[in-house]
Amino acid sequence: MNKTRRLESFSYDDQIVRWFVIATVIWGAVAMLLGVTIAFQLADWRVNLGLPWTTFGRLRPLHTNAAVFAFCGNALFGGIYYSHQRLLKARLFSDVLSRIHFWGWQAIIVLAAVTLPLGISSGKEYAELEWPIDILIAVIWVVFAVNFFGTIIRRRERHIYVAIWFYISTVITVAVLHIVNSIALPVSLTKSYSVYSGVQDALVQWWYGHNAVAFFLTTPFLGLMYYFIPKAANRPVYSYRLSIIHFWSLVFIYIWAGPHHLLYTTLPEWAQTLGMVFSVALWMPSWGGMINGLMTLRGVWGKVRTEPTLRFMATALTFYGMSTFEGPLLSIKSVNAIAHFTDWIPGHVHSGTIGWNYMFIAGILYYLVSKLWNTEIYSKRLASIQFWTATIGLVLYIISMWVAGVTQSLMWSAMDEAGRLVYPNFIETVVRIVPMYWVRAVGGTLVFVSFLIMLYNLYKTAKKGSCDTVEVYEAYALDATSIEAGATKHRSLEGMPMIFAVLSLVAILVGSAIEIVPSLLSNNYVERMSVVKPYTGLELAGRDIYIREGCYLCHSQTIRPMTHEVLRYGKASEAAEFVYDHPFQWGSKRTGPDLARVGGKYSNMWHYRHFLKPQEVTAGSIMPRYTWLFSRGLDYTSLPKKMAVMQTLGVPYTTEEIDNSVASATAQANVIAQDLQANGGVPLEIQNKEVVALIAYIQRLGTDYGKAEVP
Amino acid sequence: MKQAALKNFDLTWVPISGLVIFVVCFAVYTYWTYKKSNKDFYEKAAFIPLENNHE
Repeated sequence: MNKTRRLESFSYDDQIVRWFVIATVIWGAVAMLLGVTIAFQLADWRVNLGLPWTTFGRLRPLHTNAAVFAFCGNALFGGIYYSHQRLLKARLFSDVLSRIHFWGWQAIIVLAAVTLPLGISSGKEYAELEWPIDILIAVIWVVFAVNFFGTIIRRRERHIYVAIWFYISTVITVAVLHIVNSIALPVSLTKSYSVYSGVQDALVQWWYGHNAVAFFLTTPFLGLMYYFIPKAANRPVYSYRLSIIHFWSLVFIYIWAGPHHLLYTTLPEWAQTLGMVFSVALWMPSWGGMINGLMTLRGVWGKVRTEPTLRFMATALTFYGMSTFEGPLLSIKSVNAIAHFTDWIPGHVHSGTIGWNYMFIAGILYYLVSKLWNTEIYSKRLASIQFWTATIGLVLYIISMWVAGVTQSLMWSAMDEAGRLVYPNFIETVVRIVPMYWVRAVGGTLVFVSFLIMLYNLYKTAKKGSCDTVEVYEAYALDATSIEAGATKHRSLEGMPMIFAVLSLVAILVGSAIEIVPSLLSNNYVERMSVVKPYTGLELAGRDIYIREGCYLCHSQTIRPMTHEVLRYGKASEAAEFVYDHPFQWGSKRTGPDLARVGGKYSNMWHYRHFLKPQEVTAGSIMPRYTWLFSRGLDYTSLPKKMAVMQTLGVPYTTEEIDNSVASATAQANVIAQDLQANGGVPLEIQNKEVVALIAYIQRLGTDYGKAEVP
Repeated sequence: MKQAALKNFDLTWVPISGLVIFVVCFAVYTYWTYKKSNKDFYEKAAFIPLENNHE
């Protein structure tokens, strides 16, 4: 039979893999340094340094974007390009596309590193980058997709190995998630408003947010697991058939789980229940994958003790198992009622990103650097020190956040026999957990140090190796004879990547459509309340400052219908209150108190002093000082454009309101400034500063419905 | 009252459809994957990463 087959010679593009490996290490160090920095900022507010671009609210998005998209992104691209070529016995489709992909992705990272500290943010968690960068991401992702599928088409291996199925689901789903969630209307080159508002935006955002974890931090790395663990252990995956069940169950179930981020909010009950049930169901495929990975190591556990690659990968799988047990647990409504908005959640997130992603990437890097530079690892002892430093650091991190989370929750909800809050002042709960923030910062520092040890070890490994030689391989081209006679129809399907990709798309679209379409149509259900009015021009400007400073990262804006929350904050939130919120600002964490009904609770002067020196107003506060709000002039001139864009999005501003927006905003600012002068002797010139707009916005929050008598 | 109704707007067919679709799909791909006739093929496929030494 082979007489009719054509034997072809080819080489792999390993240079692009080397570049992605180097980028992974560099951006990984940056991401972890940022993580350590913001961890210390929570422990001591002075670490914010008093500069706008070094405050927590601006660095935290940079940390998450750097960790997810720069560190893990470069790692998954490098790992995929390495394994993809070998599993398909084909060089990457286009060297040019590979390089556009690499440099394009690095350009995106650099743009993020510049814009996020400058406060250029869309205000959507894990998707903060503004619209021009979003477009660039989409373009580069398409370049990646063409290169990826082009390689599959040129392959010399008929069967598409299961690792590539996971890659396909990543390529398809991330594109869908990114595009749908990023749709926004630009105001300027650096500012846009999401087309979604309120509860719609919340659902779309967390459908994206949760599935970014799923399809950027999980499925590609599971694919890499199915390649690198068999390679490193030199034995086939424990059960290939289980890997298939793992794949289809995971991609089908994962996409439904997003609403567990919105339990007890104004999201429809059926969507919350659906998200919870599918989150619990997700436990099964997750553990199926973990068991499959760990069982692949049967018979080679001795190597796990000595080989860095296997040691890191086995540990990563263990943490994967732990965090994928914890995730479904946290999505159960009664558990979520305790854990949501507390530090338990960052603890859970980091058990995944450090325990699973960092540990697994470390394993891949040790494997790749030794292979790509044709040498042995410089020091297994250093790798061992790195391993224990990272593990101890991570355990400190997770435990401190468990303790902090449970403490916060118990204190927030504690009520005495008379039905009063035991800790009515939120600051009491903050002060109590600051010691845990120190423990977390120390744990994070250990993880960062472990990374630096790896960086040095990999550098020394590469330095003593060589990458001059280009190996040439041979394999038969695919033709009609490369599939066995009498093969089933599905066997043929497995050789059709585009159809396979379409099926993967259908699998994720079913869940997405069922969850999202009814919510997109929710205008039919969420009737607008006459008492809820759009923000004034000045309040809108203040809201943009709120988004720019990342206030939503520490303050929520939604009150759950629980007795202790209603007692502490006021009436439970209603869907109709958020219909003009483009984007929504419910947040996901309460480092500080909820602000949904803070309007009118304190005087203008209180807010003025609080933004200037929070610790003088609230003893023990860990909030940064926002001194620049008092010197920066407020940009009144952009208000007509902003309001016009909002009008296009459905906010009922009249043309007259838009035309008079500057005059109206100036008048409202003057009222606030006069109040500040009367009560604190503040010069009237303050009316032209940003702080006045922020005060106007804060004072408006929750007042329309909060003070109204609505049946 | 009105808001409570909005929160619960009646779409029971949605989760039921999701459940049915998932159960059917799961049954189909599990049956297909564990079909006896496919066993040899998948055992062979598991060796794809190992069958060449393209390092």
